[in-house]
Amino acid sequence: MAKTAMAKTAMAKTAAEPLVKLRGIIKKFGPFVALNGVDMDIYPGEVHALLGDNGAGKSTLIKILSGVHQPSAGEIMVDGNPIVFRSPRDASAAGIGTVYQDLALNQLMSVSRNFFMGREIFKGPAPFGMMKLKEMDIITHDEMIKIGIDISDPHQAVGTMSGGQRQTLAIARAIYFGAKILILDEPTSALGQKQQMEVLKTIKRVRALGNIAIIFITHNEIHSKLIADRYTFLSLGEVIGSGTRESLDGDDIRRLMAGGAEMADLEMELGKI
Amino acid sequence: MQAERKESDRQVSQGSFRRFIRRPEIGAFSGMVVILLLLAIVAGDVVFNPLGIKNNLSIISQLGIIAIGACLLMIAGEFDLSIGSMIGFAGMSMAMMLKWGLPFGLGEASPFMAFTLTLCMTLFIGWLIGNIVVRSGLSSFIVTLAFLFILRGLTEVSFREFNDGSTQISGLPDFKETDFFAYLFGGETFKWVFTLLYEMGFNLNRLGNQWVIGLDAKVAWWICIAIITYVVLSRTQLGNWIYATGDNKESARANGVPVNQVKIGLFMFTAFCATIFAACQVFDTNTADAAKGNLKELEAIAAAVVGGTVMTGGFGSIVGVIFGAVIFGLVQNSVFYISWIDGSYYRVFLGTVLLIAAFANENIRKRITGGI
Ligand SMILES: Nc1ncnc2c1ncn2[C@@H]1O[C@H](COP(=O)(O)OP(=O)(O)OP(=O)(O)O)[C@@H](O)[C@H]1O
Ligand SMILES: [Mg+2]
Repeated sequence: MAKTAMAKTAMAKTAAEPLVKLRGIIKKFGPFVALNGVDMDIYPGEVHALLGDNGAGKSTLIKILSGVHQPSAGEIMVDGNPIVFRSPRDASAAGIGTVYQDLALNQLMSVSRNFFMGREIFKGPAPFGMMKLKEMDIITHDEMIKIGIDISDPHQAVGTMSGGQRQTLAIARAIYFGAKILILDEPTSALGQKQQMEVLKTIKRVRALGNIAIIFITHNEIHSKLIADRYTFLSLGEVIGSGTRESLDGDDIRRLMAGGAEMADLEMELGKI
Repeated sequence: MQAERKESDRQVSQGSFRRFIRRPEIGAFSGMVVILLLLAIVAGDVVFNPLGIKNNLSIISQLGIIAIGACLLMIAGEFDLSIGSMIGFAGMSMAMMLKWGLPFGLGEASPFMAFTLTLCMTLFIGWLIGNIVVRSGLSSFIVTLAFLFILRGLTEVSFREFNDGSTQISGLPDFKETDFFAYLFGGETFKWVFTLLYEMGFNLNRLGNQWVIGLDAKVAWWICIAIITYVVLSRTQLGNWIYATGDNKESARANGVPVNQVKIGLFMFTAFCATIFAACQVFDTNTADAAKGNLKELEAIAAAVVGGTVMTGGFGSIVGVIFGAVIFGLVQNSVFYISWIDGSYYRVFLGTVLLIAAFANENIRKRITGGI
């Protein structure tokens, strides 16, 4: 713990005020401690890679940040003010947009109906108001072009879109509805090589917008090196290392991603089998 | 060098006919056309005359009303097996108030009072069923199956208790002649069409007078409910919520769709449809029977499936379920016009149609959700 705290004070000098601060987040599921005192700082205009083994607690951490779970202890601060998220709605009102592992898209519905799901543009008394379908189609198309995908038919069912297109849809939707912090949980898993690159490009384009912070969960070392500005490594529910791209070198990243084990040890273990 | 290719260049423009045959309702629509043609060939003279049309539309619209309720609920991912028992319950409730007066000795019941009080009760039961389903997380199949038994049992018990031991009420006054509200349910509509037909010489009985006066009021109810639900489902925010709820509940919830309220509301809507069904029956025939509505829930679900509604939710349309009701109603009714086949074959036929429709729907669903 002491080591990571030191790394953090060093970081604070190099960048602006963090958009979001997590302090001492603990999450217990019954007797099981999924997160054991996690600290993390998220800065605007940066891609923050959250790395760690299966079951390390990455998804649990971002679920707390997006209001799905409530922490057992600890504090979330947005723009320096402590805040409590009781529901995903609270979190999204505070500008936290989450693109879940399953993307929260409905496959049988069209692109633009998905884009505006739950936040339709309509005229008249809710919920019987008439949707402005034309306007919704146009906005969907424009917002997706901004981050690099041109959909030819906004009425296409999402189930028939490619994986990369779906990711872009989910990201464009989060940004359009005011996300200042975009959380991407393994956006490149389940995608082909080329589509993985499309998603990375999309993330780069979002980063280029300048004011949006991106938290990016991945198991892919190469991806994280390609786009991350800052890293946090989780293992067994604790932060085992963190820092900026400059302060960590390739070996560190590899070691920390494997939960702190040395590559040589892993090779030895594999050799024994 | 070639001009830069854009994404929109990949979209081949299709003529309106191609777009038409790709619509999800096309299966039900072709089924309906085939059946109409077959009927025209084997029994055209009895089906396509004023009385045949009136009778067919009566059966079709009656089924159509509850099929729309079942369809919306199915799109939202739930079933309601209590529709049939709800019909019996509502009919019993209205008829008993009309015969024996309001509960707690509050005096005579007008048709309006009887209907309104009954509707309050059925909406409450729908609300209760919805709440049990969304709060317990139990399958709506089981919860509504329980209410199928509970409501039917309550109906029979109430009849025996308050109606001198009989499970039927007949010979109520003919309210539709004296009361406008009762006329809305039991009276006749589209009279002008039949008057026009009469004046053109098509609607004559043996004596040369006007034969059929008009269609049953339930046809108008069916049309109204269909138009309103069509607009709601395809154009309004609520419609988007209904699709989203049935497609993937969790992602709908994550995006702020009030999934539970949508479901509860739709359980109340099927109860509403069942009550309209019962009101039309009571005020038309001036009778009620504890066994009314038996098996109607399954017919309603079947009509929705034949109309292209996917069993697992998220997909379906009102236009489709209209065709589904027409197919079901026509077959059910018309087989009896064809004297040389056993009437019960209609069940065999409907079962087959249902199976084919379910396969077709599943195919559509797979094509869309096929994979990444
Ligand atoms: N609702 C829950 N109840 C009990 N245990 C849970 C619950 N959710 C997560 N866990 C446990 O918490 C731990 C952390 O899970 P989490 O999903 O955060 O891992 P992760 O780092 O996202 O892993 P992966 O890389 O495989 O997605 C796991 O051991 C998991 O079994
Ligand atoms: Mg995870």
